[in-house]
Amino acid sequence: MEIELVLSALKVIGYGLGAIGPGLGIGIACYGCCVGTARQPEVQGRLFTNFIIGAALAEALALIGFVLAFIL
Amino acid sequence: MNALEVLSEHVPELKESFDSAIVIGNGTFGLTQYTLWMIICWILTLVVILVAARKLTLIPTNKFINTVEYGYQFVRNDMGEGVIGHGFKKHVPFLATLFFFILISNFVGLIPGCKTPTGTISVTWALATISFIYFNVQGIRAHGGWGYIKSIAPSGLPVVMVPIIWFFELISLVLRWLTLAVRLYGNMFAGHMVLGIFALACGIFLTTGIQSIDIATGVISVPWFLLLTVMYALETLVAFLQAYVFTVLTSVYISLATSAH
Repeated sequence: MEIELVLSALKVIGYGLGAIGPGLGIGIACYGCCVGTARQPEVQGRLFTNFIIGAALAEALALIGFVLAFIL
Repeated sequence: MNALEVLSEHVPELKESFDSAIVIGNGTFGLTQYTLWMIICWILTLVVILVAARKLTLIPTNKFINTVEYGYQFVRNDMGEGVIGHGFKKHVPFLATLFFFILISNFVGLIPGCKTPTGTISVTWALATISFIYFNVQGIRAHGGWGYIKSIAPSGLPVVMVPIIWFFELISLVLRWLTLAVRLYGNMFAGHMVLGIFALACGIFLTTGIQSIDIATGVISVPWFLLLTVMYALETLVAFLQAYVFTVLTSVYISLATSAH
């Protein structure tokens, strides 16, 4: 019982550590998208698409962590 | 606090209600609640689209047809023309089907008492598989079998680096499959879990406050309720955004697979 509790706690901690990097990455991507849109509102469509692609790439790491927390 | 202990007792019950359980039929031929709601969402999507497409006129005659046409135009212009570019027209029906089905599934889950079909990994896995097969087949059609395998690695690399880069690009290709499925599932499941816990907390704090005649505990349920309302609004945004992200990523992958490197 004790060991199981520790293991499930460790899984959640591992996922939390794995979410730090993607969180920073998406934050930076969103910052760039906002600044770019503020300077040049007419390219908003293309900027937003690129932001979604970048966010998807960064988010992939967090999602792998999410999956690992479930299957391990 | 007493109410918190009651809450932590009820959380496993809430978690169990998210597990797949057979609601119609038996173990060999049965529908789980998610499959049942998936079929309902199919029918809903069909009805919405067919009713809107029954009487197509140049100028939409009522608000409903106008809304559906706006959604279709959104898929066509923002996701088709904006992302894929040249030759986007043949992909629009596929993208629009994905978009409308996921959108309707996500929004059906927001109605209390209904389940969202995208809240289980099986349905999102199937959707991701369809999209994965689709963009690979389109890539093979555009480049030919061997040409598509070669086009996974970007051209213009030194010869020594090609196998290594090709291998990493292959991993990222397969990861697209995984992330498409898990992104939709994770967002919908986690969102509904949070909504469930807040709703549970709101009710438990109120009932415990009334039972033990403790005004302080009862009053705490008001902020829980406000938080629940805010989260509900956020989930509405997420429901739309996840349908948009799934479709836009599919079209990005299609454009990556079919474009000449």
